[in-house]
Formats: sequence, C-alpha cells, structure tokens
Amino acid sequence: MRTKLILALVLLAAALSAAALLLRDGGTQAPVARITWDGVLVEEIPLDGIQEPRSFTLEDASGSNRVEVEAGRIRIAQADCPDQICVKQGWISDGTVPIVCLPHKLMIEIVGGGGDLDGAAG
Amino acid sequence: MRKRIVSAALALLLLTQAGCLRDSRPVEGTTFAMDTVMTLTLYGGWDRERTKEGRDWMMGRLVYFDQLLSAASETSDVARINRSNGQPVEVCELTARLLDQALALCELTGGALDITACPAVKAWGFTTGEHRIPSGEELAALAEKIDSSAVRLEGNMVTLPEGMEIDLGAVAKGYAGDQSRETAQSYGITSALIDLGQSTIVAVGGKPDGSPWRIGVVDPAQPEDYFAVVELEDMAMGTSGGYQRYFEADGVTYWHILDPETAAPARSGLSSVTVVAPSALTCDSLSTALFVMGLEEAAQFWREHPALEFEAIFVTEEGEIYRTAGLEGRFSLAEGYRDREVTVLE
Repeated sequence: MRTKLILALVLLAAALSAAALLLRDGGTQAPVARITWDGVLVEEIPLDGIQEPRSFTLEDASGSNRVEVEAGRIRIAQADCPDQICVKQGWISDGTVPIVCLPHKLMIEIVGGGGDLDGAAG
Repeated sequence: MRKRIVSAALALLLLTQAGCLRDSRPVEGTTFAMDTVMTLTLYGGWDRERTKEGRDWMMGRLVYFDQLLSAASETSDVARINRSNGQPVEVCELTARLLDQALALCELTGGALDITACPAVKAWGFTTGEHRIPSGEELAALAEKIDSSAVRLEGNMVTLPEGMEIDLGAVAKGYAGDQSRETAQSYGITSALIDLGQSTIVAVGGKPDGSPWRIGVVDPAQPEDYFAVVELEDMAMGTSGGYQRYFEADGVTYWHILDPETAAPARSGLSSVTVVAPSALTCDSLSTALFVMGLEEAAQFWREHPALEFEAIFVTEEGEIYRTAGLEGRFSLAEGYRDREVTVLE
C-alpha cells in the first residue's frame, strides 16, 4: 500500500515536471520591448499592456532619441543622429528586426510574442 | 517487483528533472562593430557557462576583427596599408589570410568585386555622409586607380602602389561570420544564429527543435517588408542592395555599391542580390560582385562556378524576382507576395 502511494506520488511529480517542461517552451509569451544602450538594459516595456500611447526621450552624451509606444508596437519618432535610419525604420511589432540607432548605440528589440521569422537579411 | 517499478519511476523523475535543469533559453550577445550591430543567439549543450564563454570569446573576436580591418581606425592593418606610400607593410597573419582570399575572389569575379575601390567610395562621400557627385573626369581618374591585381601579398608583407587604398568592407563581415561559426562549434554550440548586421547571417545547425532557421529577405522596393523567406541550416546568407546606403540628388538615387569599371554606382538593372552558401565570405563577397555584374552575367557566373556551392536570389529594379534552381525547398514567397512570379534559373 505504502509503495503504491510512493509510486503514485513519484509518478505525479514526474508528470508535473514533464508538463512544466513542455509548457515552458510551448506557450507564447507576451511581447516586450527591450531597450538597451551599448548592450546595457535601460528599460523593458510590455507592449500588450499599453492603453494610452506614450512617448519619452532617451538622452546621453552621444545624443537623444524620442521613443513612441502604442499597444503592440514601438518606434523612434525623432532623433538627432546624422543618418536618421532609426527614425526611417518606423514601427516594429515583432522580433524579426530590431531598431538600431548606430551613432547612439541604442537598440530596441521585441522579445516574446512569437513571430514567424528568426531573422532578416537585407 | 514493486521496488523495480518504484526505481523505474524515480529514474523517470530524475530524467525529467534533469530536462528542467537544462536551460532552454538562448545565450545572447550584442556588440557594435564594423559599422553595424551584431547579435548572437546561441543554444549550447548542458553546460550553459561554456556557451557563455563561447559568446564572450566570439564578441571579443568581432571587436578585434573590427580593429584590425576597419579602414576608419588609424591603427588598423588596413589603415597602415593605406598610408604605406608604396612601401611594403607587415600585417597580422589573420589580415594576410583574409587579404589572400579577398584578392582571389576579386580575380575570380573578373573585377566585379574590387577591394581597391576605396578612394571612389570616399569621393562619393559614402564614408563620411557628406555626399557629392564627382565629375566625369574625376570618375575616370578614380576608375583608373581601381585595380586589385596591383596589390602584392608575399607571406605577411603587403605592398600597395602609391595613390591606391583598400577597403575590406565587402569581405570582412563574411570572414568574421565564418570565424564565429568555427568558434561556436569549438564551444559545443550546436544551434546558433549569428547576425552580423543583417547583410551577413550565419546559421549553425538548425533551431533547437530541429527545424531550419527562417530568415526574411528584405524587399528592396519596401525595405520594411520581406518578400521571401529562406530556410537556413548550417548555411550562411548575405544580401547586397542599393537601398542599404544611398543618397538622392535631383530625383536620382546614388547608392554605395560602385562598379569598379566606372567608379560610379553600379546600375546593372538589379536592386538586390542575396547569396546563400556554406561560407559567409562567399555570401558577403559574391552578393556585391553579382550585383555589379547584373542578372545575365551573374546567372552565367553561377552556372560556371559550382565549386563555390552558392545559390542566389535576384530582384531587378522593376521588381522581378529570380532565383537559382538549387534553392528548391528552401525558398518561399512571404505573405503578401504569394502572387508574385518567381523565375527559376537553371
């Protein structure tokens, strides 16, 4: 009897951990915009939870970038960098390509949220 | 008997727990080098620390390649060659090896790729962003000075004729990509995506679930969209397009890919070329060379060089899509582009 109980408990534990293992990769996480400066994390913004669009400015010695966030997407609306590539890229809503302001070493990438592609060439 | 069942169940539990211990998240890294942002996504074996060591080593190497090969950095091997005034310069072994391969590729492509086009790129202002249109005479004089066959390499000694300058921009990222893949493999990393700024991408293995990496190819007419998806497994990929760096003057677009023959932007009728091959150096260099050649010549080059093991996707300025036959099963049109016609080159 006691052995059966132990067996049942052990099996239950095994099943639970197996389930946990399967669920961890299977479930789609909510998309989060991750902003880094020269590789250092500045801010993480969950894009699903945004009710009102908002904007803020990131500034350091190299220059400034104004970031706009809406439900599910993010962009750099204004920047004082010479090439304006980050501004021209417009909104991003998935993790395929991050927004990069090379002169300011600023990067905005979206993690989670699935997406069909692993990367982009071009 | 019961004891056996219990121990079997315990063993099962241990196994699944061990599975939990294995962290399924990738080890990631980002570095700014070679005028772009490079991102590494690495999946290692059981030992996550070792994967992190591999990542750190790769990132260090990428910065080192940049310092060695950047024409802009005064202390780089390339800058030293460029101010040598015709005198022999001793370079690092690594630079010499890359230069050797680059010169071979320049020759193989019949000059469509030329690492001595640097003064012309400067004259158009692409290095500083202060764009200008050189006169016809100036261009003729610049074109005269573009000739990679004049570069002498003996061992680690490089001799460049006076008045010429080299730039390894069209090959350095590819070389760095191949080196990064070797590093990844030596650290037991079986699955990785090495993105050296979109123009060069290296896939080590497939994704952790065994399926190939899916990479979008940018539509040159609308660079925020992808017109095609290429599946990569143990393969590299490189794209050159006029939309990547350009300026407009009086309604004319001038892009950074120059024809070594004329020292002017290459107007071959193509707007982007994507090359898929086992070697990232091949992808990086050929995407530029094929862009300069134009569709007809590029297709012929593909037919005549099976040893390079490359496949290619071409988009013309009119938006027509061509691909080589070897991409069968790895190439598909992206959503929104499914009704587009794709001509297969045999």
